[in-house]
Amino acid sequence: MARAVLMLRPLSDMNALNSALRPELTMAGLGRASICFLGYLAFCAIFVFSAAARASNKEVAIGVFAYQGERAAISDWAPVLDYLGDALPEYRFRLDIYDAHSLRKAIADQRIDLVITNPGYYVTMEAEFGLSRIATLVSPHVATADRAIGSAVFGRADRADLTDLSSLGGKKVAAIAPDAFGGYLIAARELQKQGFDPESDLKELRFVGLPMSRVVDAVQRGEADAGIVRACLLEQMAGEGRIRLDDFRVLSPRQEKGFPCATSSELYPDWPIAVTHQTDRTLAKAVARALLGMPEVQGGLSWSVPADYQPVHELYRELRVGPYAYLRDITPGAFARRFWPWLLGILAVLIAWVIHTVRVEYQVHHHTAELRDSLHARKLAESRMRENQEQMEHLSRLSVLGELSGNLAHEINQPLTTIGTYARSVLRRQAGGTLTPDAVNEACTEIANEAERAGGIVKRIRHFAKKRVATREPVDLSSIAGEARRLIAGMLARAPDIAIDDRSKGRCQVLADGPQIQQVLLNLIKNAIDASRGLPAERQGIQVVIEQADKRLLVHVLDRGVGLDADQQSHLFEPFFTTKPDGLGLGLPICKTIIEAHGGRLWAEPNRDGPGMCFSFSLPCHELSA
Amino acid sequence: MNCPPDQCLVHVVDDDAGLRRSLRFLLESVGWKVQLHASAEEFLEVATVPLQPSCLLLDIRMPTMSGLELQQVLYERGIHLPILFMTGHADVSMAVQAMKSGAADFIEKPFKDQVVLDAVAAAVRRSAEAVQEARIRAEAVALLAALSPREREVARLVALGQPNKLIAAALGISEKTVHIHRQHVMEKAGLSSAAELARLMLRADPAALD
Repeated sequence: MARAVLMLRPLSDMNALNSALRPELTMAGLGRASICFLGYLAFCAIFVFSAAARASNKEVAIGVFAYQGERAAISDWAPVLDYLGDALPEYRFRLDIYDAHSLRKAIADQRIDLVITNPGYYVTMEAEFGLSRIATLVSPHVATADRAIGSAVFGRADRADLTDLSSLGGKKVAAIAPDAFGGYLIAARELQKQGFDPESDLKELRFVGLPMSRVVDAVQRGEADAGIVRACLLEQMAGEGRIRLDDFRVLSPRQEKGFPCATSSELYPDWPIAVTHQTDRTLAKAVARALLGMPEVQGGLSWSVPADYQPVHELYRELRVGPYAYLRDITPGAFARRFWPWLLGILAVLIAWVIHTVRVEYQVHHHTAELRDSLHARKLAESRMRENQEQMEHLSRLSVLGELSGNLAHEINQPLTTIGTYARSVLRRQAGGTLTPDAVNEACTEIANEAERAGGIVKRIRHFAKKRVATREPVDLSSIAGEARRLIAGMLARAPDIAIDDRSKGRCQVLADGPQIQQVLLNLIKNAIDASRGLPAERQGIQVVIEQADKRLLVHVLDRGVGLDADQQSHLFEPFFTTKPDGLGLGLPICKTIIEAHGGRLWAEPNRDGPGMCFSFSLPCHELSA
Repeated sequence: MNCPPDQCLVHVVDDDAGLRRSLRFLLESVGWKVQLHASAEEFLEVATVPLQPSCLLLDIRMPTMSGLELQQVLYERGIHLPILFMTGHADVSMAVQAMKSGAADFIEKPFKDQVVLDAVAAAVRRSAEAVQEARIRAEAVALLAALSPREREVARLVALGQPNKLIAAALGISEKTVHIHRQHVMEKAGLSSAAELARLMLRADPAALD
């Protein structure tokens, strides 16, 4: 078998390895292991020689398509077999006879090394199994190998209605088999060229099978109007004395140059001998060389260089049979049957792509969502932190004010008390006649010092109030009020309801220091809450109204609290005036300072329509740049 | 005023030097003797049980030891003198605590001079009374301390108005001996009647005749 040749290569490689290793081993000295190894090498050498000996008797299987039965095939191909045996004595050639179906299977099972078959099957299996022709047969009496096979469409000579191929319409026709090359396909193509389809335009197309003589019999007996056989069969049978040529008429006969038989079709290349793709290349080359050198005399057969089988391919394509059967019906089913591995592959790729896309999409979505979530969470955290910071700032501002109130009261009380005490003491001494110049000196010096000290404290209060007069930005009073409400709610456990009524409709642009305005609002709201503390629920609500009047924005803070009497109202904005037990009396003066610094005004009035006070401040509108 | 101003002492404790000095200027203008202290600690260094009518003008709010704390320490040390608290701004809870702890008065800064002077005068008067009482008690205790144990026993029963006969029976001595002890007691204390003796003993110890 050819595959034994393939086995030689690794063994001879091992032999080369032996000689390469040997010097090294002798140098290393002959230990026990080395002896064992040498023994193994010897075994290897013996194996190599025996394999080589067997190779000289290598058997080569030649598969042959027997279109005229086994015996005919053996007698046809015996000369070739003998010749090859002589030409290549290192091989033993064996002839395996197959019909169309079993030949295909033998090739599929790799049981044969060489294939001799008709051009039709060759082309089919060339596509299917990668057969590769190494020579083309040159039949006896045929001039060239590539114009050697045709179809003869014939009828009985006594049928006057059968003259040419076009007269076959509506007739019964016998042929060998749907896949028979000379016995059907060549003629079918020719019929198609005439413009009709042998499968539908004939009355009946009957396949009678091999041997081909059955077709002749059927026509002769009148079972069929016409028959299709390989060109030259009629002549061959007549030569053998089995029929008389005169009894039959070949339709649309052509006289092809260098072709001794009547044919109804054009001619196609002769049978090829081919190797499979597993066949050893050396064997293939040796056989090809031998066949090309085969003398013509032996049995009338000879071999030429491989012919061009393109016309055979064209035939199959036109008829849409064999390897081109898929052209016959491009139904989705047929398409799928032919291309299922590709479709499967494409489907797999598609599915993979879809999965990939979906996965990527999902991941992108997932990561985007994650990112968005984390951004959102961060934003929330930031805004919460900012809120807290703002609240803290306001709280601290308020608590600083509170802190300040205690300290300021103490600090400012000290100099005031001192001054008052000195002054009255001087008066007292004056009245008692005990006032000495020294005493006047001491008292006045102290009074002056303490007055300066008090002035310093007042300056600090003013500085504190002024501290933040800096920025002037567009502010939204409505949102500042909202924020103030939120802060109040956060600071006081039981903050009353604060309603914000913005009637300004946003036509007035106020430029201000937002936090300061908020401080004013906080202060006013806080005062309003204090004024309503302890009162029944219906007098708890606080209302913040924002409205526009001319070119000013007015903000009113209304409460329904205890209100203020006329005397209290007149001192309301004086520093250190307070109605609260723990009040400092600085809140409103500071608010007034802030509002006036913004070019506005802060005032208070009793509510006209009920109890409580209305504290209002105005801020100038800035022209909206058109 | 049963105490001449120059024999009375007004202590001022305030961390504010200007205010401290102004108070001295005021109090001295009506004749009080004034001692200034910059902190509660400084005052504690010199504080003793008052031997002359005195009072304490005390600022509630001070950096280290507060007025209320000083009040507590003085009470614990048995130094009783009227305290007038001064505070920068009215703190009701602080005032209540101060008064509960026995403050004499509560003065709000800024104050009118007359308010301070009146409060000081009232406080000093109370102090003077307390000092007077203490001096009388101390004199009585000193007189009685001169008696012998037996003479003290006899004196107590005499002060309770018992006749010599009963005293002799109660003490298990002769009536004559009782008579002699009685004479000695009257001589030593400079007294002439049992009623005077009883008054003296009650001055020294209000629970002496229980």
